[in-house]
Amino acid sequence: MPLLTPIDQPILTDNYEVGPFFDEMFESDGQPRSHYRVLYEHLSTLNRQAFEERRRAADISFLYQGITFTVYGQQEGIERIFPFDLIPRVIPRAEWDMLSRGLTQRVVALNHFIHDVYHDQHIVRDRRIPAELIFGARHFRREMVGVDVPRGIYVHITGTDLIRNERGDYYVLEDNMRSPSGVSYMLENRQAMKRTFAPLFERYGVMPIEHYPQELLNTLRSVAPDRGVEPTVALLTPGVYNSAYFEHSFLARQMGIEIVEGRDLVVHDGKVYTRTTAGLRQVDVIYRRIDDDYLDPLAFRNDSLLGVPGLFSAYIMGNVTLANAIGTGVADDKAIYAFVPEMIRYYLSEAPILHNVPTYLAINDADRRYILDHLHQLVVKSVNESGGYGMLVGPHATREEREMFRQRILQAPRNFIAQPTVSLSRHPTYIDNELRGCHIDLRPYILYGEQVTIVPGGLTRVALRRGSLVVNSSQGGGSKDTWVLYD
Amino acid sequence: MLSRVAESLYWMSRYIERAEDITRILTVNFHALLDTRLEDLQRGWQPLIAITGDEGLFSQHYSEYNAQTVSEFLLWHPSNPNAVIACINRARENARSVREQISSEMWEHINRLYFLIRGVNTQSVLRGPHEFFSQVRDGSQAFQGVTDATMIHGEGYQFIQLGKFLERAEKTCRILDVKYGMLNAMREGTPEASLQLIAMLKSCSAFEAFRKQSAFQLHAGRVAEYLLLSREFPRAVLFCLQRCQQAVALISKGTNKQSDSASVSQRALGRLCSELEYLDIEEVLDERMHPFLTRLLRQVNLIGDEITRAYFNAQIILPSPRRQQAQQQQ
Repeated sequence: MPLLTPIDQPILTDNYEVGPFFDEMFESDGQPRSHYRVLYEHLSTLNRQAFEERRRAADISFLYQGITFTVYGQQEGIERIFPFDLIPRVIPRAEWDMLSRGLTQRVVALNHFIHDVYHDQHIVRDRRIPAELIFGARHFRREMVGVDVPRGIYVHITGTDLIRNERGDYYVLEDNMRSPSGVSYMLENRQAMKRTFAPLFERYGVMPIEHYPQELLNTLRSVAPDRGVEPTVALLTPGVYNSAYFEHSFLARQMGIEIVEGRDLVVHDGKVYTRTTAGLRQVDVIYRRIDDDYLDPLAFRNDSLLGVPGLFSAYIMGNVTLANAIGTGVADDKAIYAFVPEMIRYYLSEAPILHNVPTYLAINDADRRYILDHLHQLVVKSVNESGGYGMLVGPHATREEREMFRQRILQAPRNFIAQPTVSLSRHPTYIDNELRGCHIDLRPYILYGEQVTIVPGGLTRVALRRGSLVVNSSQGGGSKDTWVLYD
Repeated sequence: MLSRVAESLYWMSRYIERAEDITRILTVNFHALLDTRLEDLQRGWQPLIAITGDEGLFSQHYSEYNAQTVSEFLLWHPSNPNAVIACINRARENARSVREQISSEMWEHINRLYFLIRGVNTQSVLRGPHEFFSQVRDGSQAFQGVTDATMIHGEGYQFIQLGKFLERAEKTCRILDVKYGMLNAMREGTPEASLQLIAMLKSCSAFEAFRKQSAFQLHAGRVAEYLLLSREFPRAVLFCLQRCQQAVALISKGTNKQSDSASVSQRALGRLCSELEYLDIEEVLDERMHPFLTRLLRQVNLIGDEITRAYFNAQIILPSPRRQQAQQQQ
C-alpha cells in the first residue's frame, strides 16, 4: 500500500472518539445515525487538501464581506471573523417539530407572564412565583406597569438556547428575550454552505431559512400602531462600534428598512421622526438593538448618548412600537427561568414539552445549602450576566474561585442560581486537519407577531477550545450551519 | 434619506478620493525626482506637504523633507489626519456605518483596500513604491467603478458624486497652486520647466489627456487653462464643479428641498461655474494665479459648508408664532 502524504489523508479517521457523550453524528458503537448517513459518506470521500480549499474560500469570503465581530479589550486587530465550521448539524423533521411546538409553547407562556407582571400580577397573588423574585429582578421595569402594548405582545423576537445531555434529551438552557443576536450568522452560514457544498444539498432535502428577514419584517409590521398609512419600520442600533453592528446592518438591508442611530431620531409632540435630507419622517415601529437602560435618557439612564430623548413618552402614548417591548428582561432573569414550566401550567394549562435544566435558587434556604455543599459539582451562574461571563464551572474551578463564589452567593443570594453540569452533546468539527467531537448548543429564533413563526433551524454554536463547554463567541466559540430535513 | 447616511456617503467618497490623490502626488514625485540633481532633492519633497496644506503639522514632527519623512507623513503618520491610511480608515468607517446603503461589492472593495494598506510598512513601500501606489490607486478606482456599476443611481449616489468631485476640485486647485508657484522661478522652455509641467499634469493624471487635446507646446498658461477650465477632462476644476452642480440639482429635485441653505449651495455652485466658464485664462496668469486660486479654494470650501448646512443638519423647525396665532381663529 502506498504511503499517504499528510494532505491526502482523509479528514474523518479511525481516531475519531465518540467518548462518553451524546454524539450527534455517531451512535455509541461508531455507526453513523441514519439522518447523518449521506453527510458521512460525503465526508469519507474528502481529504485534507480538498477540505482545506473549501474552508479557505469560506473564511476569505467572510472577511471580505465584513462578517466580523469585535473583541473588546484588544487594541489592534479587534475585528475577527466568527469562526465557522463547515460540517453541518443535521436535525430530523420529527425532532424539529417537537422542538418547534415546545418553543412556541414556551414563548407564548413567557409573553403571558410578562403581560401579567405589568398588569394584574395574578401569578404573584396566586403565589406561584415569589413576589421578591419578580420585583427584585434587575430588568423589571416598574415604569411599564399598566402600559398596554399592541396585540399584548412583548417578546417579538426570542433566541432560546437549547442543549442536549449525554442521552440526547433536549433541555432549555435560557431564553434570551431582550435582544438576542446571532441570526445573521445563521443566514450567512447557510450561504457559505451553499457555495462550498452544493452537491450535499441536492442529496439531502434541507428546509430553507432564507425567508427569516421577511418573517421578521411581517412580525414587526403586524404590531405597528394604526395611523392609516403603511407603517414605517426602522432598526435602532447603538452604532458601528457595537460588536453586533454587522448583524444590525445585515438585517436592515435584508428587510429593506432604515438603520438608525439615536441621533437620527427626534421626538416631537409625542411622535418619533427620523432626520432626513428632505426633513422629518415619522416612524411607527422600532426594532431596537439597544438595552432598555439606554433607550431614553429622560426616562432611564440619563448619561445615555445612544438613546432618544422622549422616546419612552412617545411609546407609552402608543405612537410608536418597540420590539422587543421595554421590560422583557424580567423574563430572561436566570432565577425567573426556573419558573417557566410553572408558567406553562399556570397560563396555558398544558404540560411543558421542553424541559428546563434542574435549577437551584440560592435565595431558597434549602437550595442554597445544597449549592454551597456541592460547589465542586455545579455550574453557578449570576442571574444578570450573559455571554458566558460571571460563571463558575465547579468541576473545572480552582479552590480559590469556588471560595470567591461562596462568599458572593452568601452576600447576594438573589443573584445566583446553580445547575448540575450537563455534558453537552458533541458534533464532529474540523480542528487541526481532522474531525473531532466538540460540544455544541442550538439557538433557534422565535418570532411572535400575528402568530408564532420559527424558521426551521437556528444557530448551532460550537466550543472550539479543546474540552471547553462554553460556546459564546466572546469565549472562543464558533458556529456551524443547522439543517432541518424535510423528512 | 437619513441625513447621517447622506453625510457618511459624502465623506466616504471624499476620503477615498483624497487617499487616491495623495498617493498619485507621491508617485509622480518619486518618479520625477529620479531626474533631479542630488542637491535639489530636498526642495523636491517640500511642495508635497504644501499641496496637502499641512506644513505646520509636518514641521512639528520632522526637521527635514525627504522621501522617507514625506512618505511616512503622508501615508501613515498617526497625527496626520489626512494621511492615506487615516483617509482609508475613515472612508471604511463611514462605509461601515452605511453598510446597508451601499452595494456588497462596494463594501468588499473598500475592505480589500483597508486590509491591503494595513498589511504594509514604510520600509517596504520605500523599497518598491510603485507597486504599492498602484495598488492603492487601483483600489480606489475599482471602488469608483464598482460604485457606478452596482449602486442605485439615486440620492445616495449623488452624495457620493458630490463628495468625490468637490474633493477632486480642491486637490486640483492645490496642485496647480503649488506647482505653478514653483514654475515662476524657472524660465519658460527650459528642461526643468518642462519637467515641472509634466509632473503637474501627471499629478492630475492629465498628461496623456492634455497631449491628445492640445496641439500646443507644453506651456504653463495652457496647462493651467487645461487643469482649470476643461469641460471634458474629469479632473479639471470646471468639470468637477459642473458635476457637483448636477449632483446638487438632482438631490434638491429628489428631496423637494426649497430651504434657504439648499438654494445657497446651488447658487454658489452656479455662480462659480459661470465664472469659470467665462474666464479668460490670460486674466489670471503669472503673479495673479496665486490670489485667484486662493479665492477659488475658499469658495470651494464654502460650498462644502453650505452642503453640510443644507442636508446633514436636519432640525426641527417649530411652527412660527405667527402660524400658531393664525391657527387660533376658525
